Amino acid sequence: MLFNSYEFIFIFLPLSFFVYFYLTSKRLVTASKAWLIFTSLFFYSWWNIAYLPLILISILFNYSLSKSMLEFKEHNKNYISKANLLQIGLILNIGLLIYFKYMDFFITNTNIVLSSDIPLLHLALPLAISFFTLQQIAFLIDSYEGLVEEKNFIDYTIFVIFFPQLIAGPIVHHAEMMPQFASKWNMIKNYKNISAGFFIFSIGLFKKVAIADTFATWANAGFNNSETLNLLEAWATSLSYTFQMYFDFSGYTDMAIGAALLFNIKLPQNFNSPYKATGIIDFWQRWHITLTVFIKTYVYTPILKSFAKITFAKAMFATFAAMFISGLWHGAGWNYIVWGALHGFALITNHYWQKYSKIKMSKFLAWFITFNFVNVTLIFFKASSLSQAMDVLSNMIMGNVVLYYKLESFLSFLTPLGVSFETVFVDIGAKSQTFAYIIIAFIIILSFKNSNELTNKFRPSILNLAYTFILFMASISMLSNFSEFLYFNF
Amino acid sequence: MNREEVSAKIQDIFRDIFDDDDLLITDKTDANDIATWDSLNHINLVNSVEKEFGVKFALGELESLKDVGAMIDLTIKKLSK
Repeated sequence: MLFNSYEFIFIFLPLSFFVYFYLTSKRLVTASKAWLIFTSLFFYSWWNIAYLPLILISILFNYSLSKSMLEFKEHNKNYISKANLLQIGLILNIGLLIYFKYMDFFITNTNIVLSSDIPLLHLALPLAISFFTLQQIAFLIDSYEGLVEEKNFIDYTIFVIFFPQLIAGPIVHHAEMMPQFASKWNMIKNYKNISAGFFIFSIGLFKKVAIADTFATWANAGFNNSETLNLLEAWATSLSYTFQMYFDFSGYTDMAIGAALLFNIKLPQNFNSPYKATGIIDFWQRWHITLTVFIKTYVYTPILKSFAKITFAKAMFATFAAMFISGLWHGAGWNYIVWGALHGFALITNHYWQKYSKIKMSKFLAWFITFNFVNVTLIFFKASSLSQAMDVLSNMIMGNVVLYYKLESFLSFLTPLGVSFETVFVDIGAKSQTFAYIIIAFIIILSFKNSNELTNKFRPSILNLAYTFILFMASISMLSNFSEFLYFNF
Repeated sequence: MNREEVSAKIQDIFRDIFDDDDLLITDKTDANDIATWDSLNHINLVNSVEKEFGVKFALGELESLKDVGAMIDLTIKKLSK
């Protein structure tokens, strides 16, 4: 079920909310938690019930494994050690992810290298597998390292499948979530949380349906016609995707945070105005923050700590390896690997610059370089093949210059330079309004407070009610032509 | 070992890692106060504290060591176990 659908907004969400708080008001704690589990499983199964057993087995397996690590007594008669239990857990979780997500990619590339003809498996990617795998891996590692105390199975299940964060994050950590699900205080309806929840949900919904979905049509058309784009169209295509990506993903996150807040659950912040970043290190501290924290904690740090002596060069190696893995996590394709590797190189460059350069770069130049780097690398992220990415990129540099025909009378002196005057943006299925949208998007990402800043200082008031209502109604009126969220495919 | 003693040893570790013999730390000192306190130096700090006190931090704890106070508190907690 999509957050931006009538059935979610008008049936599923109100029903789960009212029944939950009816049960808690009757002090039926277990029943209210069982209700949350039931609604979340229903939400998950709405697309495809076939993978429901998979997620249930995964939860049961990881919980049991964690429990055996907690109860583990070191004993020389043991057949396996506590470390073996963790290894089994890591192998099975990562193995499951590899099997469903990467097998066909490996087979395809093996077939190319060996000129073999191994048939593809054509498995549908189980929804949310990339996210619940990470969350449970963190839980296992922490159980092994003694950070997990005796936990309740019901709370653990809710932590993994709580519907607001189930499909596309934020990636939550058991240490910040499970105490919230266990807290009795959180079972009392809180009107401030409800109004703040609606507020940020409406912002997210508007970001998604009014902004991201508009840019999506131009980005999709532009990438489909990547070979014939002129210079301005190529830039509009790539900027459209860059804006679509942010408004889509952060809009989804806002809706997740808002929906969770109705139940008094605070999900972690995932975006902090990433396109205001003035360096690529800065960017990763603002973009998909929960993924960055996970990668830093459970990938980068163990790589680095495995060296006897830590040097700057080794840290840079660990940085690159972490970004490479992050790229691969996003999808089974060379384009994601290239994207991750480019960001890895950029992080290294940024670290070297910080360490060795004496030059103080102006803030504007730092922003300009960062934004353009993010914009260009997202072309690889979006493209269905490397050659498509190169087409868009080369047209951004060497495409024909075609300007709006009404400008011809003023700028006709440019004609000898190869500039022509026609209807603009034909290849991306747009008109000149694209230009205005891009300008507005720049103003929003650079000068507006982000939804988290707004929610943190949110007070219920008539004005905020009006904002929420306007954003909500405007979004609802545009809901009919809804599309899926980008991060559902990961 | 009391809090002052732990704090004094951690001060020495900070001076060593950040290569600054006059560095004075308080419980509130964090990455905003020391420009070169990045993810690499964070791990260097953690490794040195582990070696100095013979304790071991879990991966899941490192993100919570946001300032000197948190680092001292967790070290003391581990020493008392």
